[in-house]
Amino acid sequence: MKGTGKLTGGLRIFSVGLFLSLGAFALSGRAQNSSKGVVDLDGKPADPIRRTDGKIVVLLFVRTDCPISNRYAPAIQAMSSRYGALAAFYLVYPIKSETPEQIRKHLSDFSYHLRALRDPELALVHSSQVHITPEAAVFAGDGRLLYHGRIDDWYEDFGRARRAPTTHELSEAIEAAIAGKNVATAAAPAVGCFIPGVS
Amino acid sequence: MKGLRQSALLMSASLALLLAAASVRLGHSEPRFTSAETAAEVTFNRDIAPIVYKYCAPCHRAGEAGPFPLLTYEDTAKFARQIAVITERRIMPPWLPEPGELKFAGELRLSDEQIGIFKRWAEEGAPQGEAKDLPLRPQFTPGWQLGKPDLVLHAKKAYTLAASGTDDYWNFIFPTDFPTARWVKAIEIRPGEKRVVHHANILLDRMQSSRSQEKRPGDGFPGMELRIESETFDPDSHIFFWKPGSLPHVEPEDMALRLEPGNDLVLNTHLQPSGKPESVEPSIGLYFTDKAATKFPVLLELQNDKALDIPPGDSHFQVTDEFTMPVDVDLLAIYPHAHYLGKDLVATATRPDGNKQTLIHIPRWDLNWQAVFYYAEQVFLPKGTMVEMRYIYDNSPANIANPFRPPQRVEGGNRTTDEMAHLWLQVLPREDLTIDGDPRKSLEEAIARHDVTRDPRDFPAQYNLGAMLQARGETQKALEHYQAAAALRPTDAIANNALGGALLSLGQAGEAISPLLLAIKGKANYFAANYNLGNAYASLGQFDQALLYFQEAARLKPDDSMAEANLGAALAEMGQLDQSKTHLERALKLDPKNSIAHGNLEEVQRRLAEKPNQ
Repeated sequence: MKGTGKLTGGLRIFSVGLFLSLGAFALSGRAQNSSKGVVDLDGKPADPIRRTDGKIVVLLFVRTDCPISNRYAPAIQAMSSRYGALAAFYLVYPIKSETPEQIRKHLSDFSYHLRALRDPELALVHSSQVHITPEAAVFAGDGRLLYHGRIDDWYEDFGRARRAPTTHELSEAIEAAIAGKNVATAAAPAVGCFIPGVS
Repeated sequence: MKGLRQSALLMSASLALLLAAASVRLGHSEPRFTSAETAAEVTFNRDIAPIVYKYCAPCHRAGEAGPFPLLTYEDTAKFARQIAVITERRIMPPWLPEPGELKFAGELRLSDEQIGIFKRWAEEGAPQGEAKDLPLRPQFTPGWQLGKPDLVLHAKKAYTLAASGTDDYWNFIFPTDFPTARWVKAIEIRPGEKRVVHHANILLDRMQSSRSQEKRPGDGFPGMELRIESETFDPDSHIFFWKPGSLPHVEPEDMALRLEPGNDLVLNTHLQPSGKPESVEPSIGLYFTDKAATKFPVLLELQNDKALDIPPGDSHFQVTDEFTMPVDVDLLAIYPHAHYLGKDLVATATRPDGNKQTLIHIPRWDLNWQAVFYYAEQVFLPKGTMVEMRYIYDNSPANIANPFRPPQRVEGGNRTTDEMAHLWLQVLPREDLTIDGDPRKSLEEAIARHDVTRDPRDFPAQYNLGAMLQARGETQKALEHYQAAAALRPTDAIANNALGGALLSLGQAGEAISPLLLAIKGKANYFAANYNLGNAYASLGQFDQALLYFQEAARLKPDDSMAEANLGAALAEMGQLDQSKTHLERALKLDPKNSIAHGNLEEVQRRLAEKPNQ
């Protein structure tokens, strides 16, 4: 189990017992590369999943040119404002060719007030097991992946959006994670733009 | 006293749209991928670029509606897998009709082979290929696609679309103020921020009737469907439509649209929030021709909104309508229209010899991609051809576009949450001399009679049938339908004016007073109603009353020769000969050929000469 030494800071009192083995198991596979190439917009390396201060972590994978993830911008921002005190929110841009300047403009155009990260090596994409924008991942404070998938069921298919979503998988996952409960839906398929390089 | 002024026709117009399909000038041929080459690698430069240039890039490029560009290898490779999936499922390019016997202009439909090429390219890792294989990139015309317009009209006020929420519908009024009538061969719509405008279309409002819907002049107003009123016989004829990637339609020189001074153009837009607030500020460009039209198309509307009463949960609710052509016509374009519950829309034509042909079939209706479809070649529909529409609706929860959750009973109506069952046909009637030599009147009368028969409570149909009957001198029959229209909408000014006018021309001036007073009450500054009421009182010998209404009519339309002539006549009847002479002379100045004014002026001058000197 490589990397467990590094993880002890995250595996605090509450994660002993039932979760200990699960946590260690889930983390072991990606401990080496969970943050490979991940940088903020100033180019500084970042490791959002492991440096959590014990908060849960919500990653929202978006791109500047995906119309579906763009239409979600107000909902994503609202969710971040709602849960931001109890969860660390990040926008993750996984397209290698999107520059910090393009991303800054995107944040400004869509009134985002979230921390933004670039993931050109797809390290966070793989850790989160996502393949679409927009898609979300929720991690426990100890780095366990609790949920990955769609934000809600607003889009049923390409170009086919409901007037309003009828399910709210991401909100429910965040609330369950904050409350320390099991996440009911561990994964729900997202509709949006495929992230190149992910099969 | 003569010169009865009658109103003629009230048109009910909802969305009238037109597709001008995308076409691009390209320096290449279709992809030359053949079965013999199936073993070869699929590359962007050789196989993908020709398809993307023709079918995707017209929208997917800077400044256009596509949310990302698809012009270069880098642009396209980023979306290789996406493109493979959505073309295989025929989500893109957006094209609703099934392929059939009749071809449409500008069909945006990929062949199975082209779809296979996209799929293989994505599977093979989206290789770029040899530089020598890359065809010339298409040259798109920047700005106005038809060149510099003869006249550009700008929206008075931008509309701000919210960052989020459901689809939005906004209407912009463009007043016109050129001094004389113009013939319009094309209108190019520049909808503003194209990425949020799903489609837009222009309705001609000859009576400025939409202005009453604006809170303040120039504000614009919300609404998905419009009703435009018209008092002249001028059936809807042209459709000016914009949808992403479409080039503006140019009418043949002999089929231009006549625009009168003061006509308003109302732009109806369907908007979809993008995730950030967007300012929508459209402009339209008019292209004129000096040639007056010699061909007059008509928009025929089949519809059966009355039959729309869809129970919640019903996934297969059917509505039909049928109409038999009273004259020979050529079908130019077709536009099926439903709202969010529409599922499977089909229109057929059964000719008198029994031959049945599908005019259009949309097996998976999507309001977002509605369009008007032009036939590649016009379709002859001889007199006696029965056109039938058959629409299926899905009001179950499985229809994700369903505006209600859980589903509710949905009826016909104009709101987005109501449903519609409409089919517009743009037809060009062939020669027919049965009514005034104008076959459009046969068509309009037939469609109004068809609508009245199906639904006697159809107000525009009752009114229009009355107007058509009156136009060919059947005033007694017209009266019945005007009465029905006025009974349906007792305060409607236009119906009451028509009823009063018909009574007047049947010699029932006493009965005409009451509806004409209602007409004046129902609509401020209503010239025709004041004029008719003046005539009604004059017919009853009540010249003091007649004088009041003729004065008002002349005030409302100071350049109307007949109003001046009748005012002069009423003054003469009141013994006010000097004033009478002034108005009769003014009437003749406005129209030297006004024979009534001539005769009356001679009479007044004779009386003045007989008048003893004081």
